[in-house]
Amino acid sequence: MTKGLLIDYNYCTGCHTCEVACQMENQLPPDKFGIELKQIGPDQIDDRTWQYDFFPVPTDRCNLCAGRVAKGKLPSCVKHCQAGCMHYGDIEDLAAQITGSKFALFSK
Amino acid sequence: MSEKDVMEESSGLGKSVKSVGVVQSIADNDHATDRRESYTWEEDGYTVVRGNARTAPGCHDNCGVLMYVKDGRVVKVEGDEEDPYNQGRLCLRCLTLPETLYHEDRQLYPMKRAREDRGKDKWERISWDEAYDMLEQGIKDVQARHGKESVYVVCGTGRDVIVYETILAAMLGTPNQAMGFFPGQSCYIPRTFSTNLKGGVFFEGDYSQFFPDRYDNPKWRRPDYVFVWGNNPVVANSDGNLGHWIVECMKRGSKLITADPKLTWCAAHSEYFLQVRPGTDAALALALAHVIIEEDLYDHEFVENWTYGFEEYAEGVEEWTPERVAGICDIDVDLIYDVARAIGGAESWALQWGVALDHTSEGFYSGMACWDLVGLTGMFDHPGGMVAGVAPFSIGFPWIPAATDVDWIPADLTMKPAITYESYAGLNTMGMPASDAILEGMEEGREDAIKCCWFYATNVLANEGAVPERILKAVQDTCEFNIVSDIWMTPTAYACADLFLPVTCFPERSGISGHQPYRTGAIVKAVEPAGEARSDQTVLIEVGKRFCGEDVVPFKTDEELYDFLIARGGSGMDYATVRDYGWVYPEVEYYRYKTGGLRADGKPGFNTTTMKYEFDCVPLQYMGVASLASYEEPPESPVSTPELAKEYPLILTTGARNWGFFHSEGRQIPHLRRVHPDPEVKLHPADAARYGIAEGDWVLIENTYGSCKQKAHITPRIKEGVVSADHGWWFPERQRDDSYFGTLESNINNCLSIKSGKIGLGNSYKSGLCRVSKVEG
Repeated sequence: MTKGLLIDYNYCTGCHTCEVACQMENQLPPDKFGIELKQIGPDQIDDRTWQYDFFPVPTDRCNLCAGRVAKGKLPSCVKHCQAGCMHYGDIEDLAAQITGSKFALFSK
Repeated sequence: MSEKDVMEESSGLGKSVKSVGVVQSIADNDHATDRRESYTWEEDGYTVVRGNARTAPGCHDNCGVLMYVKDGRVVKVEGDEEDPYNQGRLCLRCLTLPETLYHEDRQLYPMKRAREDRGKDKWERISWDEAYDMLEQGIKDVQARHGKESVYVVCGTGRDVIVYETILAAMLGTPNQAMGFFPGQSCYIPRTFSTNLKGGVFFEGDYSQFFPDRYDNPKWRRPDYVFVWGNNPVVANSDGNLGHWIVECMKRGSKLITADPKLTWCAAHSEYFLQVRPGTDAALALALAHVIIEEDLYDHEFVENWTYGFEEYAEGVEEWTPERVAGICDIDVDLIYDVARAIGGAESWALQWGVALDHTSEGFYSGMACWDLVGLTGMFDHPGGMVAGVAPFSIGFPWIPAATDVDWIPADLTMKPAITYESYAGLNTMGMPASDAILEGMEEGREDAIKCCWFYATNVLANEGAVPERILKAVQDTCEFNIVSDIWMTPTAYACADLFLPVTCFPERSGISGHQPYRTGAIVKAVEPAGEARSDQTVLIEVGKRFCGEDVVPFKTDEELYDFLIARGGSGMDYATVRDYGWVYPEVEYYRYKTGGLRADGKPGFNTTTMKYEFDCVPLQYMGVASLASYEEPPESPVSTPELAKEYPLILTTGARNWGFFHSEGRQIPHLRRVHPDPEVKLHPADAARYGIAEGDWVLIENTYGSCKQKAHITPRIKEGVVSADHGWWFPERQRDDSYFGTLESNINNCLSIKSGKIGLGNSYKSGLCRVSKVEG
């Protein structure tokens, strides 16, 4: 079964924790990423509505923390995500968790 | 045997304990998680040590951490998923902790330098015995010449170490201890001063953090609205509030309201975003009250039974119509009506207030005006509202000088006035020194001038002090002896210290966490200190013995000091109990003003002289200032000083937090600096176009106080006409001799005044004036 990451970017605050948790776990230098934060906006849509969102994107360096997962742990980014908006699992199970808009499912 | 039984058996812990006159029971800490039985275990070739994060490096929170140790070094740090506080999550600061612990710049040995060599690289490594001899002799010589009060113990804001600074000052016999050269003590103190007078106790927004089972606790309900006012909680995590708790509330249905001149993530995800002109918060609060009263949306039961001075208050807010205030705040008038109706009609709402409310000259009024909205809607001690913050088991704030029942506080100390000005009635009530009085006293050579500074977990030149050039000159030129305790050679240490004491990071020491009202926890030593670093508490004990004697300070270890402090709370616990258990929550009930839980005499009501929440604040009447919340223009603004505003047309706000950094910390940590590499000033695109500034340009920010340069980030997030400049910058990568790591170059405090508000509380850190122009980098 293909594994992946589900990001609920309704709640991603852009805190960079996923990036740094990954760098520390995988001994990556500051300019190399296993997961990288992206930004949408800021865009004022009307008088009272703005879009200013963040979402992390796994890179080709990401192996979903295979070593951690083998020991029954979560990938470091998912575990430490301060907003609790990242989920790891089988992509079909993750897809079933999509309950509205602004979810992104990444397969690895 | 359950975990709880183990705990009670090992500690003899009673079911209930006395705490600040209020009986607190131990909550059922056997919450849903399957807590490990020991604080340390072996795992996959590592020794894992469980504890609470604290300082150094600095922070306001107590996240549960798992420290993975191999060969005597902390190799990695993870969040403890069993800890209710952070539930396994962790921010950049702790994730990168090994980079701090083992950084090549970390100072590991005591060092001395001759007074004439301040600011020069002429340090000499010495032993701790030599350091203590020098410290004792140096302080005693100064005190013999100028009096005990001539010593200034200066702290920063890194918990928990700074709370021991009050003990240190008491042991040295000086009343002059405070946040250093920080005008108006403008962080939390203006707000908490006035609102404690009005409500008798401190209240915190209710994000379920008072319960070990958190969001599942049946007594808790999520706030209908979280009103984020003058802070960016997910970045700042101030005052023991982990900002992402609010995100968890959002998942459970909470909506946000945000008042901020800047579009933050919270603002963009708010139902209502009030993009106010900086410094006008009190006016906004008064207008919201105006609508809530006029439209009869207030909580009649609460107002009639539990408050004092409502009629005067209602009369006072009459003049603050939404139409008038919309002009003052520069926002859409309809938003004021909508927000008033939202919180007036909500079943519950929490005020997530921030330091912006203190960063105006009359900051204590901004806090009062916000607090009155809480009173008006009956949200005190209301689920999903604001919860009374009583020190858990009396070991939240056990060591303030007011607790005169400990031998190390000289009987006459509380009678000695700190250095201040007579007009600062609010500050003087708390016995705190005034930063401007201290600085001016040094500059003018007044008889009571400070002659010795001990900088304790603070880097005033880079961060805390307004007018840093003047502070540098005064401390460097006029002090006879200066000490710095730190983990880094900071600009402050390099420029000013004669004696440098290397202190530990939190994995290298033990401690009590808490210092906020939710629970008591333990900082747990995972590794031996690097080099010869010693904990601030060890230094406190060893210095205390020299100044007060072994009979008064009998502790042989840090843990014995903690045992003593914990025992004073009467809980029956000691340090080892707390360490073994990890965290202990008291049982918290709502509506304690109805049940007598807020007063030492056990009577229903608030802990004020009227026994009510005071819209009309009686104690303020004795200080000769208005006792009702009001609004005053900032001392310099386009409205109060239009002539000055012609020359300096932009409003300057400072101090917004950035991910990963804690004030002036983190600049030398590679994985933190990458996230925010340069001192940044945010400009609106229209302002940038007006002044010919492009993204990434270096910008000179200047006003009547001084200037600095920062790098432009052009973004519609900032309100037009306002610039938001970073604080706390220095450049550890530069040479020490290069103007003390370049700290005056990009230091926005150059552009701030050291004058505080009328009663000595609050300062315009976020509502000054400035102009900007492009400069070479």
